[in-house]
Amino acid sequence: MVTKDTMSSLEVRNWLLDQPEGETLLRCYQCGRCTSACPVADIEPSFNPRLFLQKILLSDELIAEEQLVWNCLTCEQCEVRCPEHVKIPHILILAKVRGLMKGNVPAAALDRARNILSIGRSLEVSSPMLKTREKMGLPDLGTPPMDQIVAMLVDIGIVGKIEKAESIYGGTENE
Amino acid sequence: MSKARTYTYFPGCMIPYRLPHFELTMREVLKKLGVELETSPDHSCCPEPTTFTGVDFEAWVTIAARNVAVSESTGNDTVAMCSGCFHTLAVANHMVHEDQELRERINKRLKKSGLEVTGDHSVKNLLHVLHNDIGIEAIQKQVTNPLKQLKIAPHYGCHLVRPLEATNMDHAENPQWMDAIIRATGAEVAEFENKMACCGAPIMPADEQKSLTVTSKHLKHIKASGADAIVVLCPTCYTQMETQQGKVEAIAETEFNLPVLSLGELLALSMGLSEIVTENQRRYHRVKLTELLEKAGVGGA
Amino acid sequence: MTKNAVVIGAGLAGIQVSQQLTDLGITIHLIEKEPIIGGLSTYLGRVFPTGDCALCLDASNEMYDGHHRKCQYRGLVTEKKNLKLYTQSEVKSITEADSGFKISIKSEPRYVNLDRCVVCLECIDVCDVEVADEYALRGGTRKAIYRPIPQGVPHAPLIDLEHCTKCGKCVDVCKVNAIDLEEKESSKTINTDAVIIATGVEEKIPLDFPGYEYRTSDDIISHAELARMLDPTGDTNGVVTTSAGDVVSKVTMVLCVGSRDKTAFEYCSQACCTYSLKHAEMLRELGIDVTICYMDIRVPNHSFHYLESSIEKGVKFIRGKPDKVVVRSGKPVTVVEDTQSQKLMQIESDLVVLASPLAPLGIGNDPVSAFLGEYGFAQRVVKERKVYACGTATGPTDIPTSIAEANAVALRVYSDLKGGI
Repeated sequence: MVTKDTMSSLEVRNWLLDQPEGETLLRCYQCGRCTSACPVADIEPSFNPRLFLQKILLSDELIAEEQLVWNCLTCEQCEVRCPEHVKIPHILILAKVRGLMKGNVPAAALDRARNILSIGRSLEVSSPMLKTREKMGLPDLGTPPMDQIVAMLVDIGIVGKIEKAESIYGGTENE
Repeated sequence: MSKARTYTYFPGCMIPYRLPHFELTMREVLKKLGVELETSPDHSCCPEPTTFTGVDFEAWVTIAARNVAVSESTGNDTVAMCSGCFHTLAVANHMVHEDQELRERINKRLKKSGLEVTGDHSVKNLLHVLHNDIGIEAIQKQVTNPLKQLKIAPHYGCHLVRPLEATNMDHAENPQWMDAIIRATGAEVAEFENKMACCGAPIMPADEQKSLTVTSKHLKHIKASGADAIVVLCPTCYTQMETQQGKVEAIAETEFNLPVLSLGELLALSMGLSEIVTENQRRYHRVKLTELLEKAGVGGA
Repeated sequence: MTKNAVVIGAGLAGIQVSQQLTDLGITIHLIEKEPIIGGLSTYLGRVFPTGDCALCLDASNEMYDGHHRKCQYRGLVTEKKNLKLYTQSEVKSITEADSGFKISIKSEPRYVNLDRCVVCLECIDVCDVEVADEYALRGGTRKAIYRPIPQGVPHAPLIDLEHCTKCGKCVDVCKVNAIDLEEKESSKTINTDAVIIATGVEEKIPLDFPGYEYRTSDDIISHAELARMLDPTGDTNGVVTTSAGDVVSKVTMVLCVGSRDKTAFEYCSQACCTYSLKHAEMLRELGIDVTICYMDIRVPNHSFHYLESSIEKGVKFIRGKPDKVVVRSGKPVTVVEDTQSQKLMQIESDLVVLASPLAPLGIGNDPVSAFLGEYGFAQRVVKERKVYACGTATGPTDIPTSIAEANAVALRVYSDLKGGI
């Protein structure tokens, strides 16, 4: 099943708990080891993986607008140390997905996604780049078959969604 | 020499277009070790695992599984040089393997283009290929310029190693394969606090300040170990720790001056392929390699 | 005909079940792999729920007034006619025969004859060899002829031949000719009607639990190690010190280090909450500042007073499982989220005590391990009318529960063996 932006937080919670990775959340006993293991929590006191898990478990509507979920490095240190092997980074990713239509997505992340869905690369391939490869004697890698890829994603509706999505996030313009 | 092994090389975006010296040096090294790489024009962006996952996870796992399916159709094992690509393909492959519902859902989407993903495909990173398939002994045999003067800090990075059930790496907190390869080049392995610390890059789009603070902590630990250089596999870690090192220094209010090499560059230096390293150093390295190259016995250039 | 049973393991449960059955007229062969009986309790000072000193109560018949539980009166074990104790002995095989079992055991030599020795201990005085004492934490030593702890039973010393120089001084000084440096190991086969597994648990030394740097610092210790320091007869004379020898003023305790953890031991070790509280209370009595990091406190009813008095005596509690204990500037620092205030804490202390898991010992012995189930623990009745288990061999627990189970199993064995006659 694909997350729909019309889902309530309770539905999202139940959907998440139905996923093989999401189901691990039921094992969480809120010991807080994830938070004390987290390199971001170490420098940002308001970033608290344990509380995110609690909010999801309690179907807290605010999780969709929680900008801080984008501060997760996905380094998986929390998961490595979690005594119950809860798939914390994966669960936080699913929490991020929830925020797309509310604009809770960094602008640079949205740009990357647009690149990937239009040219099949996370960055724009310029002709100097191609020339450099040629000079180095590296083979031409061709162009990804975008028609095929976009057609494959129709039932997910992502292409239309990211056209409409607008980042209210700010964040850093990188690269 | 034993017969050539052939892998389907998954190029991704960062290495071939932003940091092609990663690919160049590794290709040359692999050639010496009897490895051939084939590419497929059907591969797209993996897609990258740090932000696209959070935009639409279902689209991410579908595109990733499609890339695995493309590889599967070649009949060779896949090798990704980039840790992000490797992670994406390995995780998607593992998820498809474990979750029958997901597999069926994705294969329905793939059917239109005649592809199928089974979850049984072998997705590898360069450490699987170098350490396990080729072996340390075979690498040692090609080392003509042992890098005895160098102390090298291995930066594995998160996505190369975790989660173990998908990556098939040796250890989530204390991996050893890159250490062994560094030793094979004759260099000493630097021991530093928090070996598996994150480079900080994934949150650059969300918060540059915090991202660079994470990096600065890591670089401080490495610097304290007395390492001459950091070795990485991941182009994103490289960008964060090398290209952005100036910004990190500004935040940390210290000068690191820590060169970062790709594993391909380090191996090239040890195997008498130093020219391909020195030719490209100015273009891709902001931190000067002069001192490092002297210690490596290949002169400045 | 007199029925007999073999009890494997002379920890508190093994002692208790043996005492009960011998009192009921069953002949017992009690097999212990260590040179002294008492198991894990020989490391501990005061025990639940009364705070009695497990080490001191051992002694003899005279101290036993008939009202206390018998397990701690280890002296009784050596004085019963129908109880045969085999120390330094291991079970080599268990084979079913007729209506019972043939059990073969192998005994290491003690080099000191238990029947002759009068425990004058002059042999220890004359011994010139000094080696590290397994029961000491802060550099204490023992001789090559030694008693593991002063209150150990049997009371007679033993010789550690690995370090003995065979100089012969102890042989010369012994007036009762109890020492034989040439004693050989011996084997024996016992025919028995029933087997009782009482192999117990060990405190798993937390060498490899990620995050807790037990391996790198002698100021990060386990509870058994802390108990050795709290023991007035231990090498620190009951003073709690750092590895540098300074008297400790601040201690942090971490609960569930490796218990209830899919990476290590999935089960709850049951007794650690209570003994952590017991130790916290004892440390408070010494004026030491104590902080306990916990997930939830699991204290059985009969030991609840430990929690109440710990709170009363000013033990600090932080609800959160620390990710790591690291050494910074020579001191252990505990990194934990206080999940109640949501603050990330970095607690520096002189000593960190880890409540490490209680792991089954039975799995280390092949013939015994055949009777064990999940996690290496046994059912109370493994094989109807034949094989039983009690104490921590059936799962980690505290001493009172262990003893209650030993009593129950003793009655069960008795009725199975004597029933219908």
